[in-house]
Amino acid sequence: MNLFRSKEHARKWSQFKAGTEAGLLTLGDAMRVMSTPRHRNRLSAKYVSTAPETLPAFVARLLEVSGNAPFWDLRPG
Amino acid sequence: MTDADRLDQTFHFIMSVFVARGQAPHFTEIAANFSIPAEEGKRRLHELMALRLPNWLFPGTDLIASFAPFNNLPTQYRISVDGEQRWFAQCGLEALATTWMFPGKLVTVNAPCLDCGEPLSVDILDGEIKRADPGDIAFYVDLPVKKWYGNLPFA
Repeated sequence: MNLFRSKEHARKWSQFKAGTEAGLLTLGDAMRVMSTPRHRNRLSAKYVSTAPETLPAFVARLLEVSGNAPFWDLRPG
Repeated sequence: MTDADRLDQTFHFIMSVFVARGQAPHFTEIAANFSIPAEEGKRRLHELMALRLPNWLFPGTDLIASFAPFNNLPTQYRISVDGEQRWFAQCGLEALATTWMFPGKLVTVNAPCLDCGEPLSVDILDGEIKRADPGDIAFYVDLPVKKWYGNLPFA
């Protein structure tokens, strides 16, 4: 789970794995992934007890950002 | 007080300490904060860390290793707030989420590119990317999201 100077740098990385192109995101999309209540609400005094409620929006955001890529699909199955 | 209340309180205390000083509290500090015996503080810590959240202890210890979005061990993701570097992020993705821990403040992520070692830097204010250098910084993970929870430190 790392940041690179560009997608090309990520592809050139010695540990880049063939077939994982779907694991590349732009910085803007990565920020969007981390901007649902699951991440925004961590200062909440009720974070743990409300965490299950925040999961659907996170799952939806992953799918939206990735264009429904299976690589980013957290849904069971 | 319910179990859920205790978990909420423990989580909130740990996160608040991390935000304030850049390091996690020891379980004895959890105990002191809630005026409970040290062993009860340790039990609360282990209960919390057993939940399916992206937090973990250093193996074989009672020490918090990581508590998303922060890391208690230095990582290459150095986090500065209003120019002061005091925090480390859990990973490249969580580095971006540190913005939500500091409302109204400019958060800067500084890290080396793992391909070339050259620096990259991102300024974020309340979730809005204000500056990125270079301009086409990218995120990469080689593991499908469903497998992240199998071994979080190595995802």
